Amino acid sequence: MNVQGKAVHAERIRHVAAAPGLVIAAMFVIVVVAICAIFGSGIAPDSPFTQRLAVGDQPPSAEFLAGTDLLGRDVLSRTIHGAWTALVGPIVIAAGAFTIATLLGLVSGYLGGMVDTIIMRWVDFMIALPAPLVAIVVVGVVGGGYWTAVLVLIILFTAPDTRIVRGAVLEQRPLPYIDAARVLGVSKTRILFVHVLPNVLPIVLAYVLLDFAFALINLAGLSFLGLGVEPGTPDWGRMLFENRTILFSNPAALLLPAAMIILTAVSMNLIGDWLFERLTR
Amino acid sequence: MSATPKATEAPLLTVRNLSVAAGHGPERRTITVATDLDVARGEAIAIVGESGSGKSLTAKAIARLLPQNVFASGSIRFDGLELMEIPEPHMQRIRGRRISMLLQDPFTMMNPLMRSGLHIEEMLSDRSEFSSRAARSAELERRLGEVGITGEKVAQRLPFQLSGGMCQRVALAAALARDPELLIADEPSTALDVTTQAEIMKLLKRVQVGRGMSLILITHDLRLAFSTCDRVYVLYAGSLLEVGGTRGVEADPQHPYTLGLLLSEPPADRRVPQLIAIRGSVPRPDDVADRCAFDDRCDWRADICRVAKPALSEIAPGRSSACVRLGDIRGEMRALRRRALEPIPTRPADATRSAPLLRVRDLTKTFVLRRGQHVHALKGVSIDIAPGESVGLVGESGSGKTTLGRCIVGLETPTSGTIEVAGVAIADYSKLSRESRSRIRRTLQMVFQDPYSTLNPRHSVRRSVGEALRAAGHHRGDAHARVHSLLRDVGLPEDYSGRRPASLSGGERQRVAVARSLAVGPKMLVCDEPISALDVSVQAQILNLFKRLHDEFGLAYLFITHDLAVVRQVVDRVYVLYRGEIVEEGTTEEVMTQPRHPYTRRLIDSIPRSAVSRNL
Repeated sequence: MNVQGKAVHAERIRHVAAAPGLVIAAMFVIVVVAICAIFGSGIAPDSPFTQRLAVGDQPPSAEFLAGTDLLGRDVLSRTIHGAWTALVGPIVIAAGAFTIATLLGLVSGYLGGMVDTIIMRWVDFMIALPAPLVAIVVVGVVGGGYWTAVLVLIILFTAPDTRIVRGAVLEQRPLPYIDAARVLGVSKTRILFVHVLPNVLPIVLAYVLLDFAFALINLAGLSFLGLGVEPGTPDWGRMLFENRTILFSNPAALLLPAAMIILTAVSMNLIGDWLFERLTR
Repeated sequence: MSATPKATEAPLLTVRNLSVAAGHGPERRTITVATDLDVARGEAIAIVGESGSGKSLTAKAIARLLPQNVFASGSIRFDGLELMEIPEPHMQRIRGRRISMLLQDPFTMMNPLMRSGLHIEEMLSDRSEFSSRAARSAELERRLGEVGITGEKVAQRLPFQLSGGMCQRVALAAALARDPELLIADEPSTALDVTTQAEIMKLLKRVQVGRGMSLILITHDLRLAFSTCDRVYVLYAGSLLEVGGTRGVEADPQHPYTLGLLLSEPPADRRVPQLIAIRGSVPRPDDVADRCAFDDRCDWRADICRVAKPALSEIAPGRSSACVRLGDIRGEMRALRRRALEPIPTRPADATRSAPLLRVRDLTKTFVLRRGQHVHALKGVSIDIAPGESVGLVGESGSGKTTLGRCIVGLETPTSGTIEVAGVAIADYSKLSRESRSRIRRTLQMVFQDPYSTLNPRHSVRRSVGEALRAAGHHRGDAHARVHSLLRDVGLPEDYSGRRPASLSGGERQRVAVARSLAVGPKMLVCDEPISALDVSVQAQILNLFKRLHDEFGLAYLFITHDLAVVRQVVDRVYVLYRGEIVEEGTTEEVMTQPRHPYTRRLIDSIPRSAVSRNL
């Protein structure tokens, strides 16, 4: 039987290795973006902030591979540095929403009754709100830029995630292993975190990746509207806004960050979908 | 049972060398190897096997209804027609018209949005003689009459408005609507209640004989096969091990596996000291490709069994066995069989009933459904269990037996009534002090039905049992040794402690679940159908385990089951629960031999005749 156990394990590894080519490509994209975010200053050919008004708005050349923007900043370097805000915000949003939603979902699904009703009505209310609009209004009124936007998006993302966790918990709750733990007198907290949580985690983790993709797009959208990062920060959404006027003189200044937003979001989505299918089968 | 096939007539169905496998290349999994079957006109045969034997897929291969990614090879000749070669549109015309199928779950077999009569009418509509509505509805009535439905407006109802038995009758009428020559019935009664099971099988038999139709019955239940069919094919891990006429196989099985299956079925008419269980569990066909499939579990195995896969060989006209050692062991097999049947005198009921361990009085439980409907699951139930006493609670689904068990261990709170355990009132667990609650938890434990979800899939055996030890306030120091000794108590090797449930068989999981509940040192176990989800050959092992624990630890049981044969083996006293009320109570002996309540009588009559006890 031990041999059989090992065989099962080997099979599992083979399955991961046998991820479809598209998913492997998506993983590659994410790794590249992550390297850019962490080692950006080492990789970028130039500082993202150095202005050279004399050589502003240049198409791609040997010196500036993706050309320069109106202020003469190197578009390629700004794009590489932009990976930082493209990753950090969405990671914080996904992690934050995931943590809160897991706690709320566990409590709501397992305890049921009044607690469940209150949490779920709140979820209904939050889901009814148009998320991007709320973010625009709050960030516009309160100010605070990027991190305010992150906070607002955490709260908005928590609601649908809570519903997903709750559903997964409801699926586990009637199973005999939970009953067995109750009969043994295991405490509720322990049942929730030791028994239920590990069994719903795979589904939730897959959703976290999808959260990331949505968060990236929402944050980029806010930055485009001037509500996200500070002016001057290398950020993909912000670059779209700043460089919209030079679309025809240096298209790369607009297309490169736009392509990165799309590539990163689609890649995360692909990985999330693939994980979801693998983990929930 | 009537017709032995006439020698002159060619069989209706001849299956030769049928192999079924799933997947391709390195992923390929063998399901069955080289199966030969014959079905004569008007004959009923049974394919008997446990889960994983390949019996259902063999049947599906004959109707060419295999799921995607499952492939069959070999020859299937039906009335001179090679079914493996004809194109799909042709096969479609054969299905339903000449070969029909009846499946296990009548509710999933019927379209939930179609009135039940329409399922039958649909089959009639393409025949010219039933083109007029009046002719069709007259025919519909006649067809429903054939399956024992008369007068009522069953045809007008939707499937979910019918009971399981009624639904299966309609499904049978629909399967028969085009007057097929061959009916394949895949576990047609397994999903039904015991008393309904017996009715459906009787009906099926009557219809088969009445029409002179051929029948292939797929079942895991030897007793059912014996009482319904003319011949039996015993399938195990993808290989046929024995073939023969019902009478012959029942009286004198010629393969150790068949004998093991017969003996491991608890007899309903007597109590035996110990069931003869087959050890281990069913292997995967690929693991036994080059030897006798039963090798690992056989008491008579020898080197010769592992030389090659033994083929079926004829030992008498119409009788074959795949056992290569049959000549040497036949005498021993017969002796074992006689030994297994010696009844033991039943223990006289304990006179010292002074202080019951469990005392339930006037317990009621009413569930309120969403629409405000009330369901009265228990209506004033009273039971007593003395320390060390083994008590059965018998009833069908919906009788409230599971609810009673769950109330006793505190998983449900009763609506009214009292439950006392060792003198402590525990009807509402939430009102107990922490101390007495944990004391009750250490007195009462529960074993659940479904072995596949009774253990947390992400916890190792050590962790599951260890948690129970901790819950009982055990010190961490010797927990490891305790887990090992508990595993030994339930007959598992110590090195199982590192395993996850996914690498355990159903029987092994149930053993771990028992070890987990023993960890707190309980005085009583509430067992809710603990063996009904297990393979037949494994059921006996677990029943023996329960018997042994009863003797060794003086455990009291509340054994919740629908199976009276099980009751006979492990239980001293029985309560019969019917629609939330106790309708009969007494010692096992009394209730089984002189049932007073008509419902109890019906339950006892529905047991297929015991295979072991007859024809000895």
